Amino acid sequence: MSRFWRFGRRKAELQEEIDAHLQMAIADRVDRGESEQAARQAALRELGNVPLIEDVTRQTWGWLWPERLLQDLGYAFRQMRRSPGFAVTVIGTLALGIGAAAAMFTVVDHVLLRPLPFRDAGRLVLIRERGAKDAKPDWGVPWLDIEQWGLQNHSFSQVAFSEPMSGPNFLEGTSGTMQVDGLAVSPNLFATLGIEPALGRDFLQEPVGAETGKNAGTVILSDAAWKEAYGADRAIVGKSVRINRKSYVVVGVMPPGLDFPFDSSFAFASSAPKVWTTIGLSNSDTTRAWAPYSVVARLRRSTSIKTAAAEMSTIQRRIAPAYTDPRLRKERSDVVVESYAGSLVAANLKEGLLALFAAAGVLWLIACVNATSLLLARGAARQREIAMRGALGASRSRIVQQFLVEGLVLSGVAALLGTGLALSAVRLVRSVKPAQLHVDLSTHVNVTILAVLCGLTVLTALASSAWPAFLAVRAPIEPALKQGGPQSGSGRRHNRMRSSLVVIEVALSLTLLASCGLLLRTVYALRRVPLGYRTDHILVAHLAIPSYQYSGQNLVVNLYQPLLDRVQHLHGVEAAGLMSTVPLSHTFNIHLQLTANGKRIAAVLKLVSPDIQRTFGFKMLAGRFFNKQDTANSQPVVVVNRAFASLYAPDRHDPASLIGKDLFNFRLKKNVPFVVVGIVDNQRQAEIGEPSQPEVEVCLPQISPGSYEYEPSTTAIDLALRTARAPDAMIPELRQILRHANPEFAHATFDTMNQIVEDSYGSQRLAAHLLEIFGGSALLLSIAGLYGLLAWVVAQRTREMGVRIALGAPRGNLLWLVMRQAGAMLLIGVAAGGGLAWLTARFVRSYLYGVSAHDGRTLAAAGALLCASGLLAAYIPARRAARVDPIVALRAE
Amino acid sequence: MKPRTQQYQNRVELLQGTLDMLILQTLQWGPQHGYGIVQALRLNSGDVLQVETGSLYPALHRLERQGWVRSEWKQTESKQRARYYRITASGKKQLVSEASRWDQMVEAIGAVMRGGPKKGEA
Repeated sequence: MSRFWRFGRRKAELQEEIDAHLQMAIADRVDRGESEQAARQAALRELGNVPLIEDVTRQTWGWLWPERLLQDLGYAFRQMRRSPGFAVTVIGTLALGIGAAAAMFTVVDHVLLRPLPFRDAGRLVLIRERGAKDAKPDWGVPWLDIEQWGLQNHSFSQVAFSEPMSGPNFLEGTSGTMQVDGLAVSPNLFATLGIEPALGRDFLQEPVGAETGKNAGTVILSDAAWKEAYGADRAIVGKSVRINRKSYVVVGVMPPGLDFPFDSSFAFASSAPKVWTTIGLSNSDTTRAWAPYSVVARLRRSTSIKTAAAEMSTIQRRIAPAYTDPRLRKERSDVVVESYAGSLVAANLKEGLLALFAAAGVLWLIACVNATSLLLARGAARQREIAMRGALGASRSRIVQQFLVEGLVLSGVAALLGTGLALSAVRLVRSVKPAQLHVDLSTHVNVTILAVLCGLTVLTALASSAWPAFLAVRAPIEPALKQGGPQSGSGRRHNRMRSSLVVIEVALSLTLLASCGLLLRTVYALRRVPLGYRTDHILVAHLAIPSYQYSGQNLVVNLYQPLLDRVQHLHGVEAAGLMSTVPLSHTFNIHLQLTANGKRIAAVLKLVSPDIQRTFGFKMLAGRFFNKQDTANSQPVVVVNRAFASLYAPDRHDPASLIGKDLFNFRLKKNVPFVVVGIVDNQRQAEIGEPSQPEVEVCLPQISPGSYEYEPSTTAIDLALRTARAPDAMIPELRQILRHANPEFAHATFDTMNQIVEDSYGSQRLAAHLLEIFGGSALLLSIAGLYGLLAWVVAQRTREMGVRIALGAPRGNLLWLVMRQAGAMLLIGVAAGGGLAWLTARFVRSYLYGVSAHDGRTLAAAGALLCASGLLAAYIPARRAARVDPIVALRAE
Repeated sequence: MKPRTQQYQNRVELLQGTLDMLILQTLQWGPQHGYGIVQALRLNSGDVLQVETGSLYPALHRLERQGWVRSEWKQTESKQRARYYRITASGKKQLVSEASRWDQMVEAIGAVMRGGPKKGEA
């Protein structure tokens, strides 16, 4: 600070010194007999350019650049104040570009680039079994195969495996019970991942064995479970805790951010509290039919994934003959080894996010082009000022520096605004986050993103200010000073350059608009798919069943039936039913495999209560749905859907021919086969965009513990209500009833069916929303660019227009003159953009449904929109040109 | 066409090597302010050397930074407050070395202009 103060004093002294010089020179001349005035003039002439002298003198002191920078900053702010419209336009444009790019980068960073919290995560791989090449791999692997892999491979330093603990798990904390994800793991899992507990120790390293191993009855808690259940009590290690009423000793607590599996097949949020116990082998592990484990392994340093995959394929070929079941042998004859990090994000999601990132990049590019165009126009308008500065002794580098500082100030403000924009945009993304995005979007814009943002800002500043400054400095000084009016000599080249910038903007905007159009049509098509059920006024509660509390009891009798009875009598409930999982909610699927006459039949199995048909309004094609007469003691019956019937009915064209038939070998334990009593119309089950799978529905009251169908009903079930009132209004009363039925249900989550349907095409909706924003902004920017250029051209040619009118040109001609220029730019831009859109459409292909990526109509509509708004914007300056008053225009000469 | 600034600055820098020496020489005769230095140089050179103020003040400040001159504010006889420069001990040493270098250069240039060094002297 004192340095600057001293600097100021020295500056004043220098001024006084030169002033004294002047005074003495004047005094001398007066002494010699000159008049006071003549003496002063002569002395001043002799002295020369005082500010320049001061400047050069101060240069010898050093430390001039901070002063100059301050000067330039002050100058930049003064410029902004003097023409706020210009500043606001440039800042707004750049902020939009930076904001969009930063927002997209935040999302992409979270989903794709975020490093896994494991040591050297690039060497972690998943090993899965599959049939032929290109077949979809099975998730589960039997213990006997894992054992052989461990013995025979040379590619991996560690092979670990895990299995989700069955059912929802309830951890008893100091303040109540909480639901946690549970995973049974091999003791070497954390060593394989390369992580250590933050508190306590890892599991003891020992070969996987029976449930009575050294690690039996011990548990490791995740950071979230430790904090939520025990208030981050550091003394928890060594204490006994209860999970599903079973006691475990806590041996360790994992550090925050650690999560395994990173992407659970159960659709819980990835930051959900977790517990890990060790796997104990049981009798079923002695056969290869029991294949519950997923396998993660660490590659040796010298081994590539490809080598490992080749070795594992060879090993699997040796193992396969040991399978006794020929079908299983075929399905597990090969092994696939893939990167763990790569498996976490679905390929189409990855592609889609990259496409959106590219779209944001395009928007940023348009913003930069627009800002350059604006600054270029500004540079042309300021040519006289620059020439004046040059004449007054400003050096070239000084002028360029001034422009760079101006650009930096503009883009710096824009970056701040852009960050704000990005944050709100990410908040928007979070609100429409698709169900498939198992990613925590807690949106702390991290250091990398800020660094990239700063890079973008500097780049933007340099890109958009260097060009006009460079041009301005190269321009000769004298013509600029001599001519009264604005420049006309370099006008034409300048004009052409700005025209090409506008054409580029139009072309880029068209690609964004076309992609946006494709996605809007996709969302429209998805909304119009007949679902096969009603979605309005339906409230769904997702229940996780604390089945440990009901061991030895029949859940149907002791929990579901009483619950349904109570809910049905709730005021405002028209119908209530239970379903193992409601359509389009991605919780879990039960797959049914039957064999009939040597043919395999695959179907989705759903457990439902009779009233579910009334609740959802499923349409019956033939026969009847379940009713109150279908009980545990009556004939077991099933209802199948049209897809099932058309595949397996005796008469393929008449679904009803299946009614009354046995359902192949599907039977209850009493060996009484199920009989088909009804055919329901198809429903969209998992994805709206996918055709219905064959489905078999079983009546919930008919099943009982011990049967194949009973097991799935013990983990989770969905309760659906058709309501007369607004569904949301029912939640408090429903929660009351649920809590009464079982205290654990207090944590149940609620959805309306409409919401579930909306969420099911969340990724398309998200992409459409983002592209609406990007496309709309791009449209706005390019139209603004076009308007700006034409307005400038018209202002430049006012005199010419005046002369034309004075010489008798019809005003319509002048209008046409301007419109023609706009039309040419738009046409070239749209033509180029059309080609570009055609090439880039394949990047959004993974999002599309019901529309081709190369849909001509969408492209034409986008082009028409662009042309129409462009011509509309051009009409304003064109009309101004046509209305030029020749007298006024010529008088201005 | 070259911008004017370039030409102007060239003229400012033209005398740089010798100007420092001339200023130090002038200050040998006693402390002086900028205007006085200009006048003294003009008088002593018989009106030939006209020092530009644009070169003088940068040179004075440069010399002060080097420690060869020191400055103070004093009143002139006509009651004008002015900054007087005084040569320092190290300035005097610098003057001696610059003067001898100057002599060498004059001799060398003279020799070239007279047509090479005389035989036997080389």
